[in-house]
Amino acid sequence: MHEASLVRSLLRQVSDLLIAHNGQAVETIRVEMGPLSGVEGPLVEIAFQQLVNDTLCRGASLIIEEVPLSAVCRDCGVEITIERFRFRCTACDSPRVQVTGGDEFHLMDVDIQTKEKTRPTQAAL
Amino acid sequence: MNTTTTIPVNRDVKAELKRQAAEMRQDFARRGTLVINVLSSPGAGKTSLLEATAKHWGDQRRMAVLVGDLATDRDAQRLAPFCPVEQLTTGGACHLEIPLVQRGLEKLGTDDFEFLFIENVGNLVCPASHDLAEHLRVVLLSVTEGDDKPAKYPKMFRTSDVVIVSKMDLLPHVPFSVEAAIADAHMIQPDMTAFTVCSLTDDGIADWCKYLDEQRQTLLAANTVKKTASQ
Repeated sequence: MHEASLVRSLLRQVSDLLIAHNGQAVETIRVEMGPLSGVEGPLVEIAFQQLVNDTLCRGASLIIEEVPLSAVCRDCGVEITIERFRFRCTACDSPRVQVTGGDEFHLMDVDIQTKEKTRPTQAAL
Repeated sequence: MNTTTTIPVNRDVKAELKRQAAEMRQDFARRGTLVINVLSSPGAGKTSLLEATAKHWGDQRRMAVLVGDLATDRDAQRLAPFCPVEQLTTGGACHLEIPLVQRGLEKLGTDDFEFLFIENVGNLVCPASHDLAEHLRVVLLSVTEGDDKPAKYPKMFRTSDVVIVSKMDLLPHVPFSVEAAIADAHMIQPDMTAFTVCSLTDDGIADWCKYLDEQRQTLLAANTVKKTASQ
């Protein structure tokens, strides 16, 4: 289970954002994952609950969005969704498909509480 | 008065580690070191393959091994008679990450190896998600495992360049189809190069070593092209 180390990294990145934006607290962290992300949603959830309160993100909630495994065919150019890890173009049956989504664990956005309208510092960019 | 602000990020959680890995990969290429990340489930024969590789080359090639293990240095001891080797003890963690590899490299001391093998922790799940600055990712599948393994561990096989079917001497005794296993792997990764080996008898080791030499030549040729282009 390597979810714990990835969630630790996620919480560190969000904490950095909080500091950079001079925020008071993190409310919501939205992440995206798919079938080839190499992480399991329920395990990410458990790791998050165990780790979040020892960080600057304490009290934050995590929203996980599951996305399909998407690809584009390098022969006919059609955009496809890959089901059951069958890496073939559904239009022309070519095996030359390039995965375009669902293979990463993405931090999408973060809701933070600020005293007033925030202006990001240079470090946040 | 507190207000809520949404900060858009849209970045891979591992973006920084991936950037580090890409940088190290370039450094290795410039120095002429081909880096090979070797993965499999526990007991598929990673250490035996590296022993056979080192014996085949003798002192004809400069190779080194960084070997990951949860708790012991037994694999490092096995390899030590044949080549420079450093143990990376993960302390129970299921995979290797870039900082551990960097520490191992520092301990190896010199950096003029032609081939650097990173023997990962035996596990077909977690190591698939971690780029260790390798040029080649090699996954071993022994005939005593199921020939349906590739479909069960799609991320591992999708991200690998080479599949090696190992323990071929046991094939007559087990219900394993080499063709089915390789076809399964090709369904997930059509560009995968496949080898069959028996490390104990050296069967297939010469072909594997020849392939590694070719891959290193390709790496060196790419260096030359880059140098010419920048002139």
